Amino acid sequence: MAKKILIIDDDKIFAKILKDGLTQSASKHEVSVAHDGEEGLEKVKQDRPDLIVLDMMMPKIGGIEFLKKIKLFNITPQIPVIISSQLVDVEKISESVELGIKGYIVKSDFSLENIIKQIESILNKEH
Amino acid sequence: MQNALVTIIAACSILIGAYSYWKSKKLSRDIVASETELKSRMYELSILKELGDKIGYSLNVQKIVDVITGSLNQFIDYSTVSYMLVDPAKIVFKADLQSSVSRQFVDDIKNRMRDSLSALLDKKLDTIPVEEALTGAMLKESNEPVRSFFNIPLVIGGNVVGVLTVAHIKPGLYHEEEMTILYKIVNQASQAVTQLEEVVKTEEGKLNAMVESMGDGIVMTDKDYRVAVVNPAAKFIIGLPNKNDVTIFDFIDHLEGKFDIRGKLEESITLGKIFSADEVAIGGGFFQILVAPVKGSHGTIKGETVAGVVIFHDVTKERQVEKMRDQFTSMIVHELRSPLGNMKKIGEIMKEESIRQDKKAYDEYVQMFSQSSSDMLDIVNDLLDVAKLEAGKFEVSKRKANIKEIIEDRIKFFDTTSRSAKIELAGVFGREIPVDVLLDPLRISQVLSNLISNAIKFSRPGGRVFVQAFMHRNGQDLEREAAEAGISWFKDTENKLPNDYADTLVIAITDTGEGISKENRGKLFNKFEQFGSGNRVDKPKGTGLGLVIVKGIIEAHGGTIGMVSEEEIGSTFYFTIKS
Repeated sequence: MAKKILIIDDDKIFAKILKDGLTQSASKHEVSVAHDGEEGLEKVKQDRPDLIVLDMMMPKIGGIEFLKKIKLFNITPQIPVIISSQLVDVEKISESVELGIKGYIVKSDFSLENIIKQIESILNKEH
Repeated sequence: MQNALVTIIAACSILIGAYSYWKSKKLSRDIVASETELKSRMYELSILKELGDKIGYSLNVQKIVDVITGSLNQFIDYSTVSYMLVDPAKIVFKADLQSSVSRQFVDDIKNRMRDSLSALLDKKLDTIPVEEALTGAMLKESNEPVRSFFNIPLVIGGNVVGVLTVAHIKPGLYHEEEMTILYKIVNQASQAVTQLEEVVKTEEGKLNAMVESMGDGIVMTDKDYRVAVVNPAAKFIIGLPNKNDVTIFDFIDHLEGKFDIRGKLEESITLGKIFSADEVAIGGGFFQILVAPVKGSHGTIKGETVAGVVIFHDVTKERQVEKMRDQFTSMIVHELRSPLGNMKKIGEIMKEESIRQDKKAYDEYVQMFSQSSSDMLDIVNDLLDVAKLEAGKFEVSKRKANIKEIIEDRIKFFDTTSRSAKIELAGVFGREIPVDVLLDPLRISQVLSNLISNAIKFSRPGGRVFVQAFMHRNGQDLEREAAEAGISWFKDTENKLPNDYADTLVIAITDTGEGISKENRGKLFNKFEQFGSGNRVDKPKGTGLGLVIVKGIIEAHGGTIGMVSEEEIGSTFYFTIKS
């Protein structure tokens, strides 16, 4: 079933690849992209996505700060968030788990197919 | 008449004889005298040498006086030789009996010595206990009093520390002039000690100054953990920089159980063990702690543990550098993984039949693939450049080139970028700039590309970026020259612009961007100190190695690089190239 997914990532190429992958997948998701945390917050309020794929290292508002903000301002805290990062940063993983994330993917280690599977499985669990 | 003559001759003979006798007698007396003098000189020398050898580097006055008195019987005739030394708490009296004398005799010299010491020191000594030691012959019942007596004060470093005395039952033995040798010996010894004391004091002073000024915290305690030495660094570490009588408990309290200073000192002092802890967090910093026993180096305490020392070595800075290095490494990993991961995924997608049929999408992916690979190549090249810079192997190949053309070429190159960012980009050239300048055109282009792209990146839409070239004349004001050449730089109170450059070509890139905060200005050209400026909280784009390399390139040209900035208003990065 098609869902609304928001990708927040300053890596434009990755965002484009993932967006294409998700829109062209069997479920034909509706995908929007933000390139920094600030833009991401705007789009969350606007689009009310069913799931967020959030990058950790970004300009303006980083991943952790983004998570804290949606928690603090109670901006749709029920939206599941998946962290996508280049690094396996244990400190950041545990911090983001405390902030209620649903998954953590290491971008370069996971194939596109794998990332989409992960997203689908979380979408199925949550909805 | 003959009688008279005989008488005269006889008288003359007698006279001559008497004269000869007197003469020969005097001669023999002279020989004896010179022999005695020679002997005494030899003795003097030998005893001084012996003294020198025996005293060595000893500062123990009693030991030295023992050496003197032990050698004295070869030279001076005496019944007793004795010395008396004043130790603040007691008086040491020692007498060596060459022949048996009575108790009264000993007491007499003892009292006389104490009286003369008292006079010399101008101090009552009656109440101070006397520690007595007698050596040599036995005491005997006798009525022989002290008939000859000679006293020499022992002076060390200008202070009277005791007296040395020879005494005899025979009268009229010691006269001032005969006692010169004794004076000499005593003098020599006291001079040696005085000098030694000075050396020790100087060394002690040096040692103290060293301990005081050491960056490492040092605290030394005796066997009962009483603090004997504590330097300012140690007091600072435990947060008591102004406390005078720091105790071991101050250390125990401040270390809050993070390091068992008392226990480790005990182990060290009793077992002679050296103990070290690698990284103990104390008051916001990190310290390496070393606990070691202090052993006596000479004398009776040689080799014996007399104290314990604790050294706090601050490794906070090292930890920070380590952390920065780690951050740098993960940043590089991140920057390399992004394009690599993307290339892998693009490859994955392009394997699919469907994408090959969609010409537009296919082209898009080819373009993204090429972008990713060139991004990666840029990072790898940057890393190689930095590695070369750090190894001192960075070289530029200079040749005559037209600097104006190079600048114009770069402005053209960034035309599209600046247009799409809605930023005006223009070149401003001073009248006197030379046509040909000796430089590495590729490397200088790299410098310009880096500075221009930074200027565009940090400017807001509607902003302006100027690339300016002008000649600086030695002694002239750089800022004024820049303004005369068309562009006013920013007023920067922190970074004072130098005007001591020799005549040189100056190239400056001025933007109307967000500026650079004061605290970040110093970090600009540092490899590990990347920072996110105002609106880039979590991630400075790219490796941030660009400016490190730019600086390296300019310095390899023999030029200098600098910048001035006003926050929220803009920045100017300038560099010089010898024309």
